[in-house]
Amino acid sequence: MSPRLRLAVLGVALLALVPGAAATIAHLPDFGATIAAYGERINAIAPGERHVANMVSAINFDLRGLDTLGEEFMLLAAITGTVVLLRGRRGETLTDRAMRLPGRAILPRSEAVQLTCRLAGPLLMMFGLYVVLHATVTPGGGFQGGVILASGTLLAYLGEGYGGWRDMVRSHWLDALEGGGAVLFTVCGLAPMLTGAAFMQNVLPLRTFRDVFSGGLMLVENAGVALAVCGGFTQLFLEFLEETREADGPEEPGEDSA
Amino acid sequence: MTWLPYAVAAWLFAIGLYGLASSRNLIHLVGCLSVCQSATYVLLLGLGYRYGSIAPIFYDYPPGTPAVDPVMQALVLTDIVVGATLSALLLVLTVQAYKRSGTLDPEHLKPMSRGGDKAAPDTSAKHPAR
Repeated sequence: MSPRLRLAVLGVALLALVPGAAATIAHLPDFGATIAAYGERINAIAPGERHVANMVSAINFDLRGLDTLGEEFMLLAAITGTVVLLRGRRGETLTDRAMRLPGRAILPRSEAVQLTCRLAGPLLMMFGLYVVLHATVTPGGGFQGGVILASGTLLAYLGEGYGGWRDMVRSHWLDALEGGGAVLFTVCGLAPMLTGAAFMQNVLPLRTFRDVFSGGLMLVENAGVALAVCGGFTQLFLEFLEETREADGPEEPGEDSA
Repeated sequence: MTWLPYAVAAWLFAIGLYGLASSRNLIHLVGCLSVCQSATYVLLLGLGYRYGSIAPIFYDYPPGTPAVDPVMQALVLTDIVVGATLSALLLVLTVQAYKRSGTLDPEHLKPMSRGGDKAAPDTSAKHPAR
């Protein structure tokens, strides 16, 4: 199919969809007028019932925790797929040096970049931890904090270069973080059943409202998500950066580049 | 203008679809998919918004203050994280496709043949080592 024909087909299809889209948009509630009853009920009930101030965390880790469990395993599956595809092609062996483009000058890292990264890296990690720990009281949580923590490790690559990054980040630890986080979340679902409660029922003491340690089981689940997201994203960075490392030799017969 | 956020979502989705259909580069294709995905963010957040409401965090305001819909925000949050990892997965597939066929143009992708890709050696001449 030629590109022109394909675009024509798409245009016809979109034109056919326009009346349906217009009718749907006309029947949606007016923007900013009202919200769904379910969200309204959660806002009304959850602060009293679960002693948490952050409703988004209450939904993710308690009220709809089963959905988050599914998301967690989607995350795990996507990252596993990425790692398998990249590593399967590349092999498991490691070198300490990044690949060099022939003919490109090797510029030493400036001290300003190094200093900035050394200062900003730990601060960023600290901020990530803060966001993770305050999941149940202020905006934040395992998903956001985990990504911030993972970005902190990227600053090590920027500041120290490939060798320093390889020294700092161990692939096995990342595997353990990623899998351990998912296991922790699953255990949080199954453990309450040992006491006779329902799956993922919040059996731990809820503590006082607006306290950092409020929320009971949510705190553990939040930690599990933070571990999994941090480990998973760092694993992604690691695997993509590994693509730039210097190859030991030809990877496959008939192919001298990688 | 109460329909404007929904129209923006529909437009984002349509422009993403146009990009997907007309793309000549697999990396561009992954970007277009992200544009399509951001249409869902706009739609969900638009559906969950209410004028004069606070964010659904009852730390500075007492519980009972009118707040926007927290369900939509939770959906968008997990969507963004999973979407980011899926983009990574698609980019890896792009890397693999480039290594196999030596091109990023979806038009020039050929079906895989049994017993490996015979075209690999001569494409490495056209696209020298990185």
